[in-house]
Amino acid sequence: MRSLLLQLYPASWRSRYGDEFVALLEERPLGPFDVADVVLGALDAQLHLLGRKTTPDPAKGLAMTLRIGGYAAILGSLLWVLGFVAASSDKSEGVSPWAFFIVAGNAALLIALVGLSAFQARRYPKLVWAAFALPFVGNVVSMIGVLALVFADEGPFVAGFSPWEVWITGLFALVVGSGLFAFASWRTGSLSRAGAGLLALGAITLLVIIPGMMGLYSWDPLVSVGLFTTLAAFVGGWVIVGIGAVRSDRISLSSLPG
Amino acid sequence: MNGSSPPEIGRFAEPALLILVSLADGPKHGYAIMTDVEAGTGRPLGPGTLYAALVRLEQRGLVEPLEPVDRRRPYRLTAVGETALSEQLRELSALAKLGLRQLNQGSR
Repeated sequence: MRSLLLQLYPASWRSRYGDEFVALLEERPLGPFDVADVVLGALDAQLHLLGRKTTPDPAKGLAMTLRIGGYAAILGSLLWVLGFVAASSDKSEGVSPWAFFIVAGNAALLIALVGLSAFQARRYPKLVWAAFALPFVGNVVSMIGVLALVFADEGPFVAGFSPWEVWITGLFALVVGSGLFAFASWRTGSLSRAGAGLLALGAITLLVIIPGMMGLYSWDPLVSVGLFTTLAAFVGGWVIVGIGAVRSDRISLSSLPG
Repeated sequence: MNGSSPPEIGRFAEPALLILVSLADGPKHGYAIMTDVEAGTGRPLGPGTLYAALVRLEQRGLVEPLEPVDRRRPYRLTAVGETALSEQLRELSALAKLGLRQLNQGSR
């Protein structure tokens, strides 16, 4: 991974700084933040070498990534819950247009995960990677499931699983992954801890509700109330994390040691 | 570098300033600068950002490389770098005082 990242830099840069830069990368395990930062640094080095006057500032680039991730978290979670609630209530025959809101929400949450994960601190690289990978995969599987529900037949869709089973598996991974993401955010303190706490609460309670959706216990009005309360916490957590990310996009010089 | 005023820190001003502050108490290699900045600001300074700023600081003559030890190359402030840093910190200090004064006046 380190040598691959180094290859992104211009040859002349590598011959001058390569050894010391690799030594620096070897000092501790690489997290998503490091990888994103090195990629932007390499892009800057390439443009700097070309003598371009519009060299991007990695600090600004990362701030922009954080801002995009924040907006995507807000938009994605709202679209997702709107689509989820409306599609669940839609009793009409045929394809529910609300399913596309779920897909759009999933897509925006993917962007949010990429943007926000880059900013998780590097103290817990394994946790941060897992907190990125699991909800990412869950999002993708969930999207595939929703699209299959819309476009495929009701029978087995992939590996004997029906579209609904694919979707619920993706949803399960998304919820567990979101809980993990919330836990990582809480530990690193890089994003809003209030949002992370609410997201974790929403994820944990959703895990209790999902078996009800799968028919593993009787679905009564109480479960429906619990589901909507839980969804509110889940989405509220993502929104608060997103708002916090949009607001905290620059290093505070005032916190420099005197 | 000629004339009375030291060169500006320029692009990457924020990471560059953090690096100069870190080097103010003596030479450090990249990892030591990163941990120093993280400890001081509570925010991570990525390796890509660090070297992008470090390269520019070296090109402007504000820092200079020393002989590497086990592939880890320390950097230190040059005399010009020290002057530029102290001037920049004085400007920031004056700006902070002005801002606080304006805030106090505004809140009355």
